[in-house]
Amino acid sequence: MKPAPFTYHRPETLDDALDLLATHGDDAKVLAGGQSLIPLMALRMGRPGHVVDIGRIAGLDSITVGADGDVTIGALVRHEQTRTSTDVATHAPLIATAMPWVAHRAIRSRGTVLGSIAHGDPAAEMPAVVLATEPTLIARSSSGVREIAAADFFHGYLDTALRADEILTEVRFPAWSPNAVGAVVEVARRHGDYALVGMAAMLTVDGDTISSAALAYFGAASTAIRVPDAEQALVGATVSADTFDAAAAIVSAELSPPPDIHASAAYRRHLAGVLTVRGLSAATAEIGADA
Amino acid sequence: MTADRLAAEESAGGSIVDVALTVNGRSAPVRVEARRTLSDVLREDVGLTGTHLGCEHGVCGACTVLIDGQPARSCLLLAAQVDGAEITTIEGLAEPDGTLHPIQQAMMQAHGFQCAFCAPGFLMSAVALLADNPQPTRSEIREELAGNLCRCTGYQSIVDGVEIAVRRMNGDSSGGSS
Amino acid sequence: MTAPGHPQARENRSGLVGQSVRRVEDDRLLTGAGVFVADRNPDGVLHAVFVRSPLAHARITSIDVAAARRAPGVVAVITGAEMAEMTHPFPPFLMLPGLYTPLFHALSADKVRLVGDPVAVVIAESRYLAEDAADLVDVDYEPLPTVASIAEALSPTSEPLWAKAGGNVMMDHTDTFGDVDAVFAAADRVITERFDCPRQSNQPMETRGSLVEVDAATGHLTIHNATQSSHLLRWAVAALTGKQRTTTALKRFITNKQRRRAFFAGAKQFVGTNRDGLKEQDNAGPLAQLKKDRSFLGHMNKIAVGLLGKDDYPTVKAQDIGGGFGSKGPVAREDIALAAAATSLGRSVKWIEDRTENLMDGGQAREESLTVSIAVDSDGTFRAMRVDLIIDQGAYPGFPIGAPLITKMMKVMFPGAYRWDAFEIRSRVVATNKGRYIPYRGPWANETWARERMIDVVADALGMTPAEIRLHNMIGADDLPTSMVTGPSIDETMSTKQTLERALELIDMDQFERDRVAAAASGRRLGLGIACYHEAAPGPPEFWDCIHPGTGMLTPEEAHTTVEADGSVLVYTQQMPHGQSHETTYAQVAADELGVRIDDVTIVSGDTDRTPFGFAGTGGSRGGPIGAGAVRTTAREVRRQLIESAAGMLEASPDDIEIVDGNIHVAGVPARGVTVAEVARRAADDGASGDLHGAPFEVADVYNGAGDGGWSVATHVCIVDIDLGTGLVTFPRYLVVEDCGPIIHPAVVDGQVRGGVAQGIGAVLYERTTYDEDANLQAATYMDYLVPTAMEIPEIEVHHLETLSPGENDFRGVGEGGMVGAPAAITNAIEHALGARVTTQYLPPTKILELAGVIVPG
Ligand SMILES: Cc1cc2nc3c(=O)[nH]c(=O)nc-3n(C[C@H](O)[C@H](O)[C@H](O)COP(=O)(O)OP(=O)(O)OC[C@H]3O[C@@H](n4cnc5c(N)ncnc54)[C@H](O)[C@@H]3O)c2cc1C
Ligand code: FES
Ligand code: FES
Repeated sequence: MKPAPFTYHRPETLDDALDLLATHGDDAKVLAGGQSLIPLMALRMGRPGHVVDIGRIAGLDSITVGADGDVTIGALVRHEQTRTSTDVATHAPLIATAMPWVAHRAIRSRGTVLGSIAHGDPAAEMPAVVLATEPTLIARSSSGVREIAAADFFHGYLDTALRADEILTEVRFPAWSPNAVGAVVEVARRHGDYALVGMAAMLTVDGDTISSAALAYFGAASTAIRVPDAEQALVGATVSADTFDAAAAIVSAELSPPPDIHASAAYRRHLAGVLTVRGLSAATAEIGADA
Repeated sequence: MTADRLAAEESAGGSIVDVALTVNGRSAPVRVEARRTLSDVLREDVGLTGTHLGCEHGVCGACTVLIDGQPARSCLLLAAQVDGAEITTIEGLAEPDGTLHPIQQAMMQAHGFQCAFCAPGFLMSAVALLADNPQPTRSEIREELAGNLCRCTGYQSIVDGVEIAVRRMNGDSSGGSS
Repeated sequence: MTAPGHPQARENRSGLVGQSVRRVEDDRLLTGAGVFVADRNPDGVLHAVFVRSPLAHARITSIDVAAARRAPGVVAVITGAEMAEMTHPFPPFLMLPGLYTPLFHALSADKVRLVGDPVAVVIAESRYLAEDAADLVDVDYEPLPTVASIAEALSPTSEPLWAKAGGNVMMDHTDTFGDVDAVFAAADRVITERFDCPRQSNQPMETRGSLVEVDAATGHLTIHNATQSSHLLRWAVAALTGKQRTTTALKRFITNKQRRRAFFAGAKQFVGTNRDGLKEQDNAGPLAQLKKDRSFLGHMNKIAVGLLGKDDYPTVKAQDIGGGFGSKGPVAREDIALAAAATSLGRSVKWIEDRTENLMDGGQAREESLTVSIAVDSDGTFRAMRVDLIIDQGAYPGFPIGAPLITKMMKVMFPGAYRWDAFEIRSRVVATNKGRYIPYRGPWANETWARERMIDVVADALGMTPAEIRLHNMIGADDLPTSMVTGPSIDETMSTKQTLERALELIDMDQFERDRVAAAASGRRLGLGIACYHEAAPGPPEFWDCIHPGTGMLTPEEAHTTVEADGSVLVYTQQMPHGQSHETTYAQVAADELGVRIDDVTIVSGDTDRTPFGFAGTGGSRGGPIGAGAVRTTAREVRRQLIESAAGMLEASPDDIEIVDGNIHVAGVPARGVTVAEVARRAADDGASGDLHGAPFEVADVYNGAGDGGWSVATHVCIVDIDLGTGLVTFPRYLVVEDCGPIIHPAVVDGQVRGGVAQGIGAVLYERTTYDEDANLQAATYMDYLVPTAMEIPEIEVHHLETLSPGENDFRGVGEGGMVGAPAAITNAIEHALGARVTTQYLPPTKILELAGVIVPG
């Protein structure tokens, strides 16, 4: 279980990194935290000819809060950094809520938030957080910068809008509304495993009326996925058990998750409904408007 | 390393890199294939075999070491990635005079391990936990250690050991009884 | 939680036995100074990687290794056909009535029978380079229909794995005790249920591995190996790699005096240890084998001749081992291939199995189908039981011990601690395209699972509680002496009923019922499960002969205890510890016997040049009863000799002399004593020097455990809490009341019990060696084979009874029971919680919610 040989590059600047990607194209892989890439290479399921280690590029490791409360996360920000950051807890709390579910500390201390997004595992937490919070994803290549909307980013199993010559350099999460509440809930076989199914939810609530809703599921399709019909059922409804049950019923009816050796499709569909209720209850409990 | 291995590696098609590691306070420069994982470099090139490999794909935690004080899976890192970093392995836990780290003493007292193949990883994870959270609850200990697999013990004795270490490090030198 | 100081412990001279003394092993293991096989990196060592089949069943039409041989750093590539020239096939080891054992080589040459079947080995300057070259080996396969399940294997039209087997049923044999038909006919009711246990895997944290060092001058092999039995491996390697022409071999044998002497010494050792067993072998097994395949006769002859002509046998050395749970007992095909490769290259070669290889063929277990019928009277009295057992042994039989012998263990143990008038079991073993079925901690354990599950089913049908029906039928003190319907005699050490009674006292049933109602109101279900068992540890003297006549020869075990001239005590054991703390517990036993300090005692294990011969190694819960018994009897004799020597120096009668802390003196006058070291020095100066180790005091003895010890027993009770939303199961309480007699080291015993329970929890809720319908392995990494973490395993309460037996050495085995009891207790609790019949041992969240009727099975 050892990686195949490759040419190793450790550029000091972003431009150098982008040039390398431009030159080697599909035969190159960006190496960020390595917590997904290295095991794939060790199993020889991935064998890039060139590995571009972006770990030494200056300026990518910061969490920046903008003037209007938006939060920008750079490509070298580790999971663990966002779990402990007060800025994240205040301005992008859904990320902080997601983090305890991500793997284990020794993996979070190396794995990057953007790596997780770029990797696009359908059972991972961050892609769902992205879908629920709708940040702008900023990709750079030697030919320029692209801003990608969250809704356009995830294409399929481990497949995203990123081109082989691009680096996801930062993700800008919009300001967290004072009326917003959220939750991340999931069930995994073991603590720290990828989810069987999970949900990242963000609601805005006026009094006890839901004014907007974003429900993003992971482990429930070939990518993280939102369920717009359930969201619409929530908007305008009051925070109550009945409201959540109705949304859950729509979720269970509309999702058709794939089976695997860890859970059947029926189980996942059922679980998505259960987690809808539990997640929405948890989210609204925070603002003292428990169902 | 033999000349044969070096020659073969040079023709294997991948990069050869110079990596300057500091392991347990000692500098350990190595020249290795870029694809070599930190765990293999520690074990085979630096000669510190206390760090173990149970799965080589990030799940078991046996290979956990500290990198600049933070726990990490040494099987999921290329040595080249941590060029220049300070690495602590189980061999570096005791004081230079041989005095054992409180976590080592506590695990002895608790009879924490059986085959102890998993022990290096657990000890490093526990050290990292206690550095951040000197008074963890029993369930926090369990949660933090959940990144390390042990097949022998059922974990209870290991959790007991961390609790004893907590007491020792907070001044109760008896560590209480297990 | 143990009260030390049972009578025997109080008598101990140093009082070490019964105490959780500090582990000797920890000094090195907790500082990173342990030496596991992977830690040995001699200069210039080569690394082996096996090329493995990606298909479950196929014919090899061609294999091209030219590109691999040219790859950087490659020293050799050996194909299956080439390996067959260098080695003998694995012969049938234990020929049982009704069994056919196929012969197979270290590498496959014509046909592959599972995903992961090794077809070639690449040897290169590093593991990385060897993997590169392995990728270049080009094998053409012609796929064959696969056999992926017991049901398929039973079908007469399934593609046979083994040409000479006549189908995929490798064994079919029925054992009957009493007039089963008559008792069934007379009973009030007959209740039948079928139970299926999916495939699991031992999964020690350290994988298998071997380093074969070749002495450049002599060609002598030193094999460092993670083995549970170093002597077995030594003989297996010697036997299977000794391929040479008969004339050459005989000439070598006749002309080499040293070789002749070594061979006869070895043969004498083997026959001496196993005399009774060899006499009892019957012919039914070999005849069954001969009927299907005569080839083994020729191979056995060649193996014997090869052994005669071999210059010397390898030395096997094992030091620290990262767990085994049975998986490092069998001899691996890879072990043989590696030794042959190293011999042919004249260079040291190392193979450390990776986790995927380990999941493919490092040992799998427990895949069994068990149909159980119980004939019972309306008052709940058990009358008779009938079992139809089918084991899926996978592609290649475990060597030397695999599914066939395990059917025999299950046969004997199935009736459990209950009274029966009659019992019958049909045992079948089938071949499928999966990994090797081997012993896994309590290899017979599914008899306990199926029986204890079935007893709950019967209780339910009769409107009794699980506790009532067990207490009603269980053998108690009033029944003694008696014997199991399958043969073994039962004495007071079978205190299963007392453990059940104690466990029931420890549970507050009223509180449980209240909690249950409260939980139901919040979408949860609580259930309580009980399981009781006894295990032979070592069992009564006739135990192994009840399993199969002749297998008793594995029971006796030799130890050597010496006192060196400096007074240090060395104890040599054939045991091969891999986590069980022998270095501590045997030192406790020896130090107590001798009256020396524990630090004065060193346990020597694993090195076949130094340790006594024995094939059993460590396994089968023998370490306490047999291994420690051998240590104790030899240490006792050394003590007698020390006292006798000292008597002259002290001018006192030996009867008046005691040894305390290494000081030999007349009782009550320690100031006028001599030290063990002084006595040893004097003896050495007088020229005393033992034959075996050259020490001034030296005692070797074979201990067979006969009449001592007996059964190790326990009751497990657990409460499960099931979330009907998620199907997740947690354990508000798990308790074990066990009785392994006097305890040497309470923390070690508790650790063995908890570790076993954790594996049982894993088996039921997390772990499954999943294959798809084409026998492709679906759980080939630790992302998919789920060993539970500290978050899944609860706190486990362990309570002890310490029933004494009249025997000399009363320690009883405890290594396996945790895993024997847990699956039954947990599945019983889950059935109780859900009120739905549980007939499989593997209950992941999906299955839980299907049983609960929350989701539709799909
Ligand atoms: C045992 C284990 C359990 C895990 N459990 C979970 C879990 O429960 N939830 C979870 O979310 N994750 C889990 N992970 C994965 C972990 O979170 C990874 O850190 C994460 O998926 C990838 O981040 P990385 O920085 O390590 O990326 P890398 O491994 O370095 O890269 C992953 C992929 O993304 C690409 N990539 C990375 N960064 C960029 C970038 N900035 N621009 C373009 N492409 C990029 C790489 O080329 C590669 O293809 C687990 C990992 C392990 C080993
Ligand atoms: S060896 Fe690194 S996590 Fe298992
Ligand atoms: S003590 Fe053996 S794996 Fe943990």
